[in-house]
Amino acid sequence: MSRIMITGMGIISAIGNSVAENRDSLKNKRGGISRLEFYPTAYAGKLPCGEIKISSETFREKLFTHPDSAITRTGLLVLHAAEEAVKDSGLTPDQLAFRDTALVGATTVGGMCLTDELFRDAHERNYGSPYTSSYDYASVTLAAQQRFGITGEISTINTACSSSANAILYGARLIKRGYAKRVIVGGADSLAKFTINGFNALNILSSGLCAPFDRNRNGLNLGEGSAFLVLEREEDVKGKKIYAVLSGFGNSNDAYHPSSISPEGEGPYLSMKEALERAKLKADEISYINAHGTGTENNDETESVAMQRLFGTPPPFASTKSFTGHTLGASGAIEAVYSVLGLMHQEIYPSLQFSEPILSTGLIPLHDYRQQAVRHVMSNSFGFGGNCTTLIFSKP
Amino acid sequence: MLYIHKTACISPQQTHPEADLNRLMASKNNMLQITEPVYADIPPGVLRRMGKAVRLSVGAALPLLKNGPAPDGIIIGTANGGIEDCIKFLNQIIEYNEGLLTPGNFVQSTSNAPAAQIALITKNKKYNCTHTHRGLAFENALLDAIMQLEENVENSYLVGSVDEISAYNFNIDRLAGCFREAVISNDKLFETPVAGTIAGEGCFMMTVSGKAAGAEARVVALLTIHSTDENLVRNTLEQFLHQTGFSENAPDLLISGENGDSRLQKYYDAAESLFPETASIARFKHLSGEYCTASSFGFWLGTEILRTGKIPGIVLKREGSRRIERILIYNCFRGLQHGMILLESIIHTR
Repeated sequence: MSRIMITGMGIISAIGNSVAENRDSLKNKRGGISRLEFYPTAYAGKLPCGEIKISSETFREKLFTHPDSAITRTGLLVLHAAEEAVKDSGLTPDQLAFRDTALVGATTVGGMCLTDELFRDAHERNYGSPYTSSYDYASVTLAAQQRFGITGEISTINTACSSSANAILYGARLIKRGYAKRVIVGGADSLAKFTINGFNALNILSSGLCAPFDRNRNGLNLGEGSAFLVLEREEDVKGKKIYAVLSGFGNSNDAYHPSSISPEGEGPYLSMKEALERAKLKADEISYINAHGTGTENNDETESVAMQRLFGTPPPFASTKSFTGHTLGASGAIEAVYSVLGLMHQEIYPSLQFSEPILSTGLIPLHDYRQQAVRHVMSNSFGFGGNCTTLIFSKP
Repeated sequence: MLYIHKTACISPQQTHPEADLNRLMASKNNMLQITEPVYADIPPGVLRRMGKAVRLSVGAALPLLKNGPAPDGIIIGTANGGIEDCIKFLNQIIEYNEGLLTPGNFVQSTSNAPAAQIALITKNKKYNCTHTHRGLAFENALLDAIMQLEENVENSYLVGSVDEISAYNFNIDRLAGCFREAVISNDKLFETPVAGTIAGEGCFMMTVSGKAAGAEARVVALLTIHSTDENLVRNTLEQFLHQTGFSENAPDLLISGENGDSRLQKYYDAAESLFPETASIARFKHLSGEYCTASSFGFWLGTEILRTGKIPGIVLKREGSRRIERILIYNCFRGLQHGMILLESIIHTR
């Protein structure tokens, strides 16, 4: 069975508009969670977010989208990150248009970032806005489909906060089973009244900066962003630069509650365990875990319990959501990029805002940037509906 | 190979729990809506909190999973999930100006809620995924299962699709020009070729495995393509049939996703042109209406035809001379997304 190699990456988040900028922020502990400046919501002064400080108009100009084209901010983030990834991997227009190139996107908000326009169109009698075909999830993947002229297998996945981890998993399967030779995988979400109000109604948004794995954590900060990776078969990448291997993945449902994880962390435990088994690795071979680590009461404790069940004493771990905020459908892909960066540069990235460990587990996340030997990185993504996914990336 | 065991289809027609397609249920205001069944397996307290898409999915899935082995995964295709709850929450946001809101609609609206609720109720901790790729959401869910069964023939999965009509998404799609301007009756859907179709909704669930024992039919191959070029679609379809060994002997039946929208007719004509006179042609959108996962109704119809050996008169466009053993389901969504699925009877092997 061919190994799945990562040959290109692109990213945009609150801590940078490119792979290089993101790495620089992670190394220098420069977080991107701040007061909202662009997104209009009643919570602008109250709930800090990982906002990208670029207006949608600027994006539109930069990405040369036709002024009439109804691409939403989420779609623009997709185009920004996917273009960097495609360019980085050196995929040619011919390759992109061939049937053997696949595309798998992921999002939980999709075009619903245009909350007010959607509301108007849902109730309007006569004239629709230009966005009537842009509210759904698929619209943001289709923006990339059109940009690159992709005709092969394409999907969009929504498993809440593990969406883009599952897009990577599904893309890897398309390659393994011969439905594609190369696949562009990732996800995006932009800030939306829909999610700000939804998470706020669930009382899991922090009014300060989120503090993953800290005893006094009091919720998450929402963020926006997008990341895409190019996956290719090992036999097709001779002579190309190879960043990492996708060596394992696991997907499990916690089957406990619609919006929280079981106290014993069953879903997280099972997805991490399956990923290790598929990668044929023992727990102590994992060099670093990019945890889901949202900063909510429920997630950080249950994830800690699951890590202790599987690892005994876990390897160094951290939550980079303390830099970017929780980017929902984008987070799996964004953290996949960070995992691969760690392997490329033999370094591991810290958690911000940590001061005291959770009493019941006593686990302390990595809180300083560190250079060390990195062989295998595990990345966790858990979502509402109990959707848990774990990916493992390895040094090629 | 993906083998189909049990199926359930809740649709605007009489398809659940038993199918009777002798009588056509009529559309109203260009909408074909489901009359929901009695959900005997769902506790009333749980049922009350569920949105329609979740109710339909759980209601269709639970009877299939009763007494059977627990599946190794739950894979669902839905373009919009609980769109009604989604816009109800949106209404709350606007009405209360982002004030204190109740999260119920928000949690129910996430499109992974149907797959998640089935997992929760049946305590299924295995693979769980939701594909939301608009007109190919069902095809991707099916492909997901096909690939996993290629990896492990011992496994079994629950695969399905659901999409609901709400007044809101009907209105948005109406403004986008998807539906007929004049109100028509669904039995006249194919009579006048003009732009637009009628809206529908439905839920399809099936248990599938890698083993033929006890199965009703199997999926031989599946392919999807994104293109607006009907010649590329035709060539791709021709190649698909050729690669799967059907070129000499085209499938005996084409189940066409034709929906009365004149703008899409060129794609369906291209598909039909590949079939000789001896093959039959059936269509179903006057039964299901158009929605993102409507191809799953065509898929269900294919399994019914293979099971009973009969093509219901109501779906027949052209009657050929061949016995129906192999079926191609071709569906085009809004002129961009094309899905091709080959179904085969497992009773007869050539």
